[in-house]
Amino acid sequence: MIRATAAGFGIVFGFVLSWTGLADPSFIHKMLSLQTAYPYLLMATSISLTLTATRLLARGRAHAVLTHEPVQWSTLKPERRHVIGGSLFGLGWAMSSACPGPVAAQLGQGFGWGLCTALGIFVGVRVFLRREVAQAHQQTGLAPQAP
Amino acid sequence: MHDLLLDRPPWYVAGALVAFVVVGLMATINERIGVLGGFSQLVERAEGVRPSLGWKVWFLFGVIGGGALYALATDSWGGRASYAWLTDAIGPVGTGLMLVAGGTLIGFGAKTAGGCTSGNGIGGCGVGSRASYVATASFMATAIAATLLVRWLA
Repeated sequence: MIRATAAGFGIVFGFVLSWTGLADPSFIHKMLSLQTAYPYLLMATSISLTLTATRLLARGRAHAVLTHEPVQWSTLKPERRHVIGGSLFGLGWAMSSACPGPVAAQLGQGFGWGLCTALGIFVGVRVFLRREVAQAHQQTGLAPQAP
Repeated sequence: MHDLLLDRPPWYVAGALVAFVVVGLMATINERIGVLGGFSQLVERAEGVRPSLGWKVWFLFGVIGGGALYALATDSWGGRASYAWLTDAIGPVGTGLMLVAGGTLIGFGAKTAGGCTSGNGIGGCGVGSRASYVATASFMATAIAATLLVRWLA
């Protein structure tokens, strides 16, 4: 049920990304060239509505419908990694005029270029995870093992 | 219906639909939206460090399905999308290499920052996480600056 629900919301998200043109790199290129305000207004609307809704859920001590847990979330303090990681991601975003959500929607639409960006995302994630494992081994004084 | 779907909906309608997804995930399964997490879990599964696929992968599959549904509804298989400005400037091979390199920076950078445009930009900012505000400001500023710089140089 949780899987089906996640997939259901994913379908809505992928459909909206496609309908709004956010999965079209030429539109994102216009956004990042500051030639259209549409994506910024969309994000601002979504963030303000979510801020309001989550405050209401917290105040009403709401429980998640399917998992029956109290609806809650954690927030983090900003660290260096948020600036460094964010900047690297921003550079990749500018190069490809796409980010993970739109790339997934592109794959669904049969837009072939999305395969190149998706391949890159897999490589980048893999490099990050390998580095994390190597660093963990370094901290414990063990030699890194290839998984 | 077909025509309606070919035109972009007003930004406030689209923003409300995205908020519906973000809040919906929290209200039903108590989880915060994120697309990169799905990519990440697939890699973790392939590397054998994750025993099974979590909800994030199903969400990712859903997003792919949503794109397919739109293509079906508007009869636009192949996508109403283009990299014309890029292929005109650096050719198809250059574009492909640029996209793989860009994707690699996206994967590595967003994992480092703890989320992408959806995880940090929409989900994290939507619950008032200061780390997400900083990450979002960083990727927005870098992406806009890099795009404007390239346009200015070209």
